[in-house]
Amino acid sequence: MKSGPLLLAALILAAGLSTLPGFVSAQQGTQQETKVASANDPAPAAAGATGAAASSHSTPSKLQDEDALRIEGEKRFHANCGRCHQAPHKFPPRMMATIVRHMRVRATITDEDMRVILHYMRQ
Amino acid sequence: MRPKFFSSMGPSRLAELSIEKVFSRVIAALAVLCLAPALFGQSQTDDSQQPISPVPILSAGLAYNSFFDGGTQNVHPLVSPVVLIPFGQNWLIESRDTFEINLAPVPGMIGYKGYLQKEVDYLQLDYIANAHLTVTVGRFLTPFGVFNERLYPVWIRDLQTDPLILPIATGPSGAGTGAMLRGGFDVARGVEVNYATYFSTLSTDTPLDSQRLAGMRAGIFLPGPRLEFGGSFQHLLQDDRTNAFGFHAAWQPPALPLDIRAEYARSHNGSGYWIESAYRLSQAPVWHDALRHVQAVGRMQQYFAGIVPNANLPTVNTRLFEFGLNYYFRDDLRFVSSYGRQFAPQAGNMNIWNIGITYRFAIPVGHGDIQ
Repeated sequence: MKSGPLLLAALILAAGLSTLPGFVSAQQGTQQETKVASANDPAPAAAGATGAAASSHSTPSKLQDEDALRIEGEKRFHANCGRCHQAPHKFPPRMMATIVRHMRVRATITDEDMRVILHYMRQ
Repeated sequence: MRPKFFSSMGPSRLAELSIEKVFSRVIAALAVLCLAPALFGQSQTDDSQQPISPVPILSAGLAYNSFFDGGTQNVHPLVSPVVLIPFGQNWLIESRDTFEINLAPVPGMIGYKGYLQKEVDYLQLDYIANAHLTVTVGRFLTPFGVFNERLYPVWIRDLQTDPLILPIATGPSGAGTGAMLRGGFDVARGVEVNYATYFSTLSTDTPLDSQRLAGMRAGIFLPGPRLEFGGSFQHLLQDDRTNAFGFHAAWQPPALPLDIRAEYARSHNGSGYWIESAYRLSQAPVWHDALRHVQAVGRMQQYFAGIVPNANLPTVNTRLFEFGLNYYFRDDLRFVSSYGRQFAPQAGNMNIWNIGITYRFAIPVGHGDIQ
């Protein structure tokens, strides 16, 4: 088919052009989604640990809960990571999800610590 | 002047491209160009409905150390790559290998000679069964004490020399081949318990050698005062079927940038202890900008030879005092240095110097941001 190479080139060009900005936007979307997901996914378990009730509305109490959770996450981050090494700087969220799983096995950190630290590292 | 694309075509090829054909292809290309972002946007929307998925990671610890043991210089470059491959919600494949060369001067020859040593430190499959239990199969670091499993990497350890008692109960390679159950959980507010129990089979295939043994380790971690302590037990299921046991403790007072760690181990090969203190000068009242990168380390250790000698352990009673200074350029790059004095009356005393650089990096493999 004679139009095949041209169509293929167009497809490759389209994929290349769309992937480059799309990848960036996907990363940004992931970061944004992190903040959204953190209010839905790890927060309830962590909130249960800190006595904070997760709310789906951005009320002052919700913001205070988020602050408390972040502070608790930072505290647990330094307490658990400092058991073996200097606390590292933050990693991107998807890397952090892997590292926390690795640390859960390697340093036997608890499930709750893992969730709270992951929430903090996603901020 | 024609575009290069068309100039590369012959006249016959150009004749085949009618206006309609060119137009239809341009339309098709534009349609694809317009459609692709929309399709990608759709997948992005779908992705946002999902929790963040972990990404595979390639990491590595690198070190270039120079040791002076009793006046003899050894150069010791080392690379230790770590691969982490998560999949599903509860699975993780992790491995660490070590490639190192101990370059030493050969009497009567110019330069340094050495050979590459390769070791598979661990290659294991982990399944997080629930909040209290993780099942591990494969080759794993022997969880006897905490140094071998958690403090061994060159970019973590505060002093680059191994503790004298490290080979006790960790086997010839520091690793076992078999299965392990482990986990950590809260037993009360501010009290965490962690445990590891394992069985290793005999393997004589280098670099996957291991002994046939079973053991366990249990510990308590108090996150408030950042205090951790625990004990280990191991039973050898080959040769003379002896037991080994040990204790470990660590404390990082929250108000101070101070790490205090200690271990004790005892087996028929010998016994001993080490206690280490590392203080980061981040609270120094003077020269704060420079001193906050500096870490002062001191370690004291003592080893008592047992009734059955081991090739990896000292053959005589030994005491070793070490003092080190580390400078952190970043949290992953540092200059390390130390001086030690070894007292072994039956084998001779000697000085041990070390200077070097350690580095650690971590990058995602596949989709993800680069650190």
